Amino acid sequence: MMPKRLLFVTIFWMGYFAYAQNKQLLYDFTEIPQALILNPGMETDFNWYAGIPVLSGISVQAGSNGISVNDLFANDGLDFNDKVRDRAINGMTIRDEMSGTYQLEILNGGFRGRDPNVFYSFGLYNEGYFINYWPKDYAFLAFEGNADKLNERFDLSHLKTRGELLNVFHFGINKKMSNSLVLGARGKIYSSIIDINSTKNKGYFVTNEGQNNILASTLDADLQLRTSGINAIERAIDDENVPGTIIKRGLFGGNLGLGIDLGFTYYLNPQTVLTGSLLDLGLIYHSNEIENFSLKGNATIEGIEIILPDALLDPDQDYWESLVDEIEASIPFEETTESYLMFRPTKLYASLRYNFGEPMEGSADCNCDYLSPGGGSNVTKYRNSIGGQLYVINRPRGPQSAITAFYQRRFGNFMALKTTYTADKFTLTNIGLGVNFQAGPVNLYLMADNLLAYRNIAASNYTSFQFGLNIISWERK
Amino acid sequence: MIRLREMKKITSYLLTAFAFVLLFSCIEEQDFNQYDDLSITPTFEASILYLEVPERTINLVSGLNTYSQNFNFDAFAEDFFSERVLEGVLTYEVANTTSKPLQIEIQFLDEAGTVLDTERFQLDPEPTATLQREIAYGPAGRSIDIIRNTSSITLTATNLGDNTSTSSQSNPMVTLKSSGKFMVRIK
Repeated sequence: MMPKRLLFVTIFWMGYFAYAQNKQLLYDFTEIPQALILNPGMETDFNWYAGIPVLSGISVQAGSNGISVNDLFANDGLDFNDKVRDRAINGMTIRDEMSGTYQLEILNGGFRGRDPNVFYSFGLYNEGYFINYWPKDYAFLAFEGNADKLNERFDLSHLKTRGELLNVFHFGINKKMSNSLVLGARGKIYSSIIDINSTKNKGYFVTNEGQNNILASTLDADLQLRTSGINAIERAIDDENVPGTIIKRGLFGGNLGLGIDLGFTYYLNPQTVLTGSLLDLGLIYHSNEIENFSLKGNATIEGIEIILPDALLDPDQDYWESLVDEIEASIPFEETTESYLMFRPTKLYASLRYNFGEPMEGSADCNCDYLSPGGGSNVTKYRNSIGGQLYVINRPRGPQSAITAFYQRRFGNFMALKTTYTADKFTLTNIGLGVNFQAGPVNLYLMADNLLAYRNIAASNYTSFQFGLNIISWERK
Repeated sequence: MIRLREMKKITSYLLTAFAFVLLFSCIEEQDFNQYDDLSITPTFEASILYLEVPERTINLVSGLNTYSQNFNFDAFAEDFFSERVLEGVLTYEVANTTSKPLQIEIQFLDEAGTVLDTERFQLDPEPTATLQREIAYGPAGRSIDIIRNTSSITLTATNLGDNTSTSSQSNPMVTLKSSGKFMVRIK
């Protein structure tokens, strides 16, 4: 019983881990090197930086738009079954998600090239995510059944799920093309450890009035579940070698893919900046440790049919087995090891920022500003910035977007604050706060999202937390 | 110096604010033991058995007025069903458009061949209305163990009339339709 309870609770908690993947606090936070991951064309003034291994970038985001833990498990005296029925079974739609993601930087560094206008960055991060849309009709069938639902189709396409665990090796180039334009690109090699997806399901189950018998049950199914790496992990569990297998598969021993990030920063005028980036334009080819399952076909049954005189011809016929065989032949359940391609969930960021207040020199040691770049890398920073951001991610049920308004305040080169208000399908009251500290070469940033939700985390619809630790240098050689 | 002091002050305020948010954030009391109360008991329905005997077939078999067939029926014996079924209703619809009075009998048998339950239908010759009967199993009816232990069904149709008369109806036959509606406990 305990594992089942854990699974149930975990599924609902999983709604608290970053399905949105939006990092609006970090995006275009030019004082933080990790913001380059979100826009390879970000304006940079570092000479070099090195992330503290494993601590340079940790992000966990959380959210749930359909239901929260509190909705079900609050100790409110209400009947638990009523809560499940009203708030989950009847209260959620197929667009509601339960999902999670995390990102952990293992290595991250960057350095300015001989050409001071060019900055290189590289690294390795581990990422895991899982998304499961609420399978409304499946849940209804499981909780209520098909009784008294004549002619009502249960839609099998409601099953949409995807999850992946992978390592990403990346190398980015960032170049200041002119005084008003910075372009960047980042190449990525994906090393997939585990992949599981079932996103292109079709079909229905329906009960109609029968032609001969009282009822006719029809299953029209085109369902597919594709996996890679699960076999290897299962074997590793038997061999008690899970960490070794995960590390091996994460270091090019799994399934590989390629991707690219693109980004830019463009000054419309000395104080107005337009930025944009397109991330994870890529795919992974899954060819090893594949295990796919499919159920495809159509069958209508009206129970066992004994029609005389035909039935007299074979009095020993096993009608039940014949019926089962007929169904299995019409809707075969098959297992294959076919390779498959999976596209990465592509993300788009864009922002428009207006800088105002007293301009100040960046951290780089040069007599330069925006109009006179000097050494090429220094960036003039204003005390204040205000603007808006857009975020779009490609999901199995189509793009999801979020809009953000932000205000950024810099206190010398020592500290910068960014506060955001974000609206998306999950919450309309998401206020976030990020702070970046620079103590000499040591850089520390902390970010927390949806702060209002901390009044009762269990009832939260979205929460995220990010932090990182870097060593940054602006010094010239 | 003043600026540095201001910075330190702001930093300490911020760190205090973060610490406050992270350490003193609230969570209403949750009771995850409520999961134990979760009851999932859907009700499924489907057709079970259809029998069709045309009048011409009855008339062809002179001297033998009974058709009886025992056949394997493992639908109820599947573990998923037999271990979880709570209650249910079997619905029968029997129609006779032949010119003969008939009797149809359904017997549910366990694996050893023991008869667990019998349902009998007496049908007048045409014209007759469709006979509909619902048999409940479970707390409000016959023992649900009958359903749980059924492994085969014996179907017996007996002609209580002659082998020569013909019905005035088009395509005369006797039909038995049946469906089951059962509640099962998934959790």
